[in-house]
Amino acid sequence: MIEVKGLKKSIRNGTRTVEILRGIDLLIPKGQFAAIMGASGSGKSTLLGLLAGLDSPTEGEVILDGIAISKLEEDKLAEVRGRRIGFVFQSYQLIPTLTALENVMLPYELNAKGDARKKAEPLLVAVGLQDRLHHYPVQLSGGEQQRVALARAFVLEPPIVFADEPTGNLDSANGQHVLELLGERHRESATTLVLVTHDPQIAERADRRIVLKDGAVLSDEMQGLAASVAGAGTTR
Amino acid sequence: MNAETGSETMQKQPLPWSTAARIAWRELRAGKAKFLFVLLSVAIGVAALTGVRGFSTSFARTLLEQARSIMAGDLSARMFRQATAAEAQQLDRLASPQAGLGVRRTVVTETVSMAMVQGDPVPLLVSLKAVDPADYPFYGTVTLSTGADLRAALTDETVVVDDNLLVRLRAKVGDQLKIGGKWFRIAAVIMKEPDRMTAGVGLGPRVMMTRHAMEETELLQPGSRATERYLFALGDKLKVADVRAQIEKILPDAQVTDFRETSPTLTQGVDRATGLLSLICLVAMVLGAIGVAMAMRAHLQQRIEILAIMKSIGAQSSDILRIYLIQTLFLGVVGALLGVVLGLGVEYAFPTVLGRLLPLRPEIRLPLSPVLAALGTGVLTTLLFCLPPLLDVRNVRPSLVLRRMVDSGNGEGWVTWLKEHKVQLASIVVILAGLGGIAAALADSMLVGKWFAICLAGLLVFILGLSAVTLRTLRAILSRTRLHLPSALRHGLANLYRPGNQSSAVLAALGTGVMLILSVFLMQRSIVNALHEDVKVDTPNLFLIDMSTQEMPGIRAELKKQAGVIGDLEAVPIVSARMESIDGTKVEDLKLKNYPNRLLRNTTLSWADVTPDGTKIAEGKWWTGTGGADLAVVDRVAKRLDLKVGSKVTFIAGEKEIPVTVTAIYKIVGEHAFARSEFILPKVQLEDQPAVWYGDIHARPSAIPEIERALFATYPTVTVINIADILQTITGVVDQITIVIRFLAGFSILSGLIILASSIASTRFRRIREVVVLKTLGATRNRIATVFSVEFVVLGLLAGAVGTLFANVLSRILLHRMDVVFQRDVRGSLTAVVGTAVLAVVTGWVASFHILGQKPLEVLREE
Repeated sequence: MIEVKGLKKSIRNGTRTVEILRGIDLLIPKGQFAAIMGASGSGKSTLLGLLAGLDSPTEGEVILDGIAISKLEEDKLAEVRGRRIGFVFQSYQLIPTLTALENVMLPYELNAKGDARKKAEPLLVAVGLQDRLHHYPVQLSGGEQQRVALARAFVLEPPIVFADEPTGNLDSANGQHVLELLGERHRESATTLVLVTHDPQIAERADRRIVLKDGAVLSDEMQGLAASVAGAGTTR
Repeated sequence: MNAETGSETMQKQPLPWSTAARIAWRELRAGKAKFLFVLLSVAIGVAALTGVRGFSTSFARTLLEQARSIMAGDLSARMFRQATAAEAQQLDRLASPQAGLGVRRTVVTETVSMAMVQGDPVPLLVSLKAVDPADYPFYGTVTLSTGADLRAALTDETVVVDDNLLVRLRAKVGDQLKIGGKWFRIAAVIMKEPDRMTAGVGLGPRVMMTRHAMEETELLQPGSRATERYLFALGDKLKVADVRAQIEKILPDAQVTDFRETSPTLTQGVDRATGLLSLICLVAMVLGAIGVAMAMRAHLQQRIEILAIMKSIGAQSSDILRIYLIQTLFLGVVGALLGVVLGLGVEYAFPTVLGRLLPLRPEIRLPLSPVLAALGTGVLTTLLFCLPPLLDVRNVRPSLVLRRMVDSGNGEGWVTWLKEHKVQLASIVVILAGLGGIAAALADSMLVGKWFAICLAGLLVFILGLSAVTLRTLRAILSRTRLHLPSALRHGLANLYRPGNQSSAVLAALGTGVMLILSVFLMQRSIVNALHEDVKVDTPNLFLIDMSTQEMPGIRAELKKQAGVIGDLEAVPIVSARMESIDGTKVEDLKLKNYPNRLLRNTTLSWADVTPDGTKIAEGKWWTGTGGADLAVVDRVAKRLDLKVGSKVTFIAGEKEIPVTVTAIYKIVGEHAFARSEFILPKVQLEDQPAVWYGDIHARPSAIPEIERALFATYPTVTVINIADILQTITGVVDQITIVIRFLAGFSILSGLIILASSIASTRFRRIREVVVLKTLGATRNRIATVFSVEFVVLGLLAGAVGTLFANVLSRILLHRMDVVFQRDVRGSLTAVVGTAVLAVVTGWVASFHILGQKPLEVLREE
């Protein structure tokens, strides 16, 4: 479960201070697939970064499964990220000097004991990259790189996965494929999935759609099956 | 499923070193080309240090060996008696290998006697020297006319003699010579006697025999006037000063000298060479460190984004620290090892390359200490430049993966900054101390070490301050004039202060490099000039002993007639005297250490009313005009007798008491007649005393026998000592020093240039993105090259100017301290400034050439 209370973030740009998030409150229950939408500069990537503990807020709190991560020191935070969070980025962020397999093995090696390869290989096979295990990121297409990133995000089977425009750099066929894989993994491991996108079609696949504007929540509604089951859709 | 892995994942412990090493290794394997560049940069730096240091150590050892040959030992103790049994026992203890000392010793006895050849009843006064050919000489060789070895030629039945003796007695090799009560066969003529200059200047030509033979002549009776000279050879491990102190303790009335005191020219030459070589080594070390530093810095900077990714997937700072510590240390150690191999290769190649130029071949051993120093420098520098940024990893925000622009600087005060970076600062201090230790070990000369450190620190502070001021000024000027400037120029200048630029680092590296390189150049120039000044062609090579005042005009005239004589006779009058008291204390009551009282009871005085050639005032002033109750003392004796300017000394010459006050203390700066004087008084004090004259001239070596014969014909009592051979040893050494200094200076300058070039080239990686964007926007290669050129020219000119300034300061200080005249070199300095700019631009171009040709998409895809 993800709880967000009064989240604010501002950054300094030379002498000016720019407020990116102006106070956000959210509650995302376990297993939910939430899509965060908004125009460029609305603060959606910043919000995602704060949720994932990649950055610290200026004010407010993020609580993941009961742990208030905003106040955690860096190493504890790294531990939380390693164990509880998977991340998929728009620009893949694979380590260029490692092969596909090594990239997927890395989080496991950093955070767990055991045979990393045994965990990583089936995942790569599952995303259709059985022939690409020993290729370096530059030798892979965008879609393939994103599938490696996906496998990496799930290798530790984290309870929460964040995805930042995961199809933003892909053509529609590859984008579809990645989304399907993402959905599949989400359903199989009952992961909480938070996805940032500006594509309404992608957002439609989610249980819930949160729209940001100028650093604040513009709308937040349940959709599809989830809406009819829970009736939890709310508008600001 | 979560629950299943939960137990595995919840026991997060520090990343095992083995896993860290595996991850580090994977990365290394992938980016081979880039890592090779880092490795090579480290290697070149370390190689320069190994090669220079190793070779200079070998060379210095060989030089010292030559210097030792002039004394035939490391130390000599001169006495007018034989050592007592108790003293001999103590000396034996020095020699015992059990005590770990193993000091070898041999005795040389010198005295005078009459000698005559068969068939000619007229005897000749000769100066006898009895040696043990098994040990004597410890250094150098006695060269004989027959080409035989001294051990073979000198038996208890034979002697070897000076050419002069044959001339005077009209004898030849093979004739019989009677000395004391024993006949000897003349086995050979002495062509070269290594310690001829340090042996007492005896009367008459040299006759050398074995110690056993000397006993058989029965010349040595109690009370006879003989000098015992103990020669010591120390081997490699012992320090001359330590052993000297022990010998001085054992033989309190002996005059102990070490080889460094024998030839001022040679010793000074060796000292200056050591100073300069020491500077060159430090330069090599710092240049090497710069190379390592720049390579590592660039390496880590490219890793920052990877670090951010790692953090975003759950790596803790300590994990990352482990991974990259292993990786950078691996690069540092392997690079350093590679460098050591490369350096040793260069060192072994030196003598081959220089073979024809160098008459001596330094003996090369595996130089352990230079290798360790080089390895240590490589690894410590790697740590110095990697550990602080790695410790900074905890401040790398993983959100870097989401957006490039991160919140830059929170504008906290420096106190907060210091608090947050205390671990880094502590590690920097520790590592710097380590490097300082290596530098101290490398700097054989404390003087050089001290000033080098001061100037280096000064330069760094100055250049970093300057770069901050310049960049700020540039920014201010640009913001006002920018629209009036051509856009390429504007862009180039703006590049200097944009965020993330390495201007300050490049300036510091380049400025330091220029300072080091130019100092070496300036110093070698002045030192080489000074060396050649000291051994001018007209340095005396013929000494004339025992000329009477009446003979002087005639001898001068005779020498003028000789075509082989170059220049005039330099002559010093010698008056026998004894010292009565110092500052009111009778000489007998003086507690003198290592200065035989006998030397004071029978000393010699000279006169000169102006500072004589070959001496230089160290303290006080020479008297003006004809002077009064003045005294000048040579520094060596002043130190032994504890004489200061103002000390009162009374001499007795003949019946006359001469009370004088020390007004000057002088030192010897060349091979001249006065180099052997110890006390000089005004002429008025001594002219009424009987004097003999010692003199020296320079003659063409081939004309020397002719001159000897002519002098003997008219002035049979005058002894002529030919030191042309010894002088050749000295000039030979000086020439070698020159060659080696030039070569090593050239080598360190060249490797410095390569390292500087690579430090500029290392900035290329950060340019890739910029080039791509510019190209995407339609910039031509020309345009981009112009932008870079502007940036590099400014960097080069700034660094060149500051480096040149500090090089002049450093070399001026060091040369002044070494007693060498600093020669201003405006052209050299200007060349350095312009050259730096050119180097910066050219290497900048070369390094960017590949980038300029890259297709934008290749890079964008990598993003």
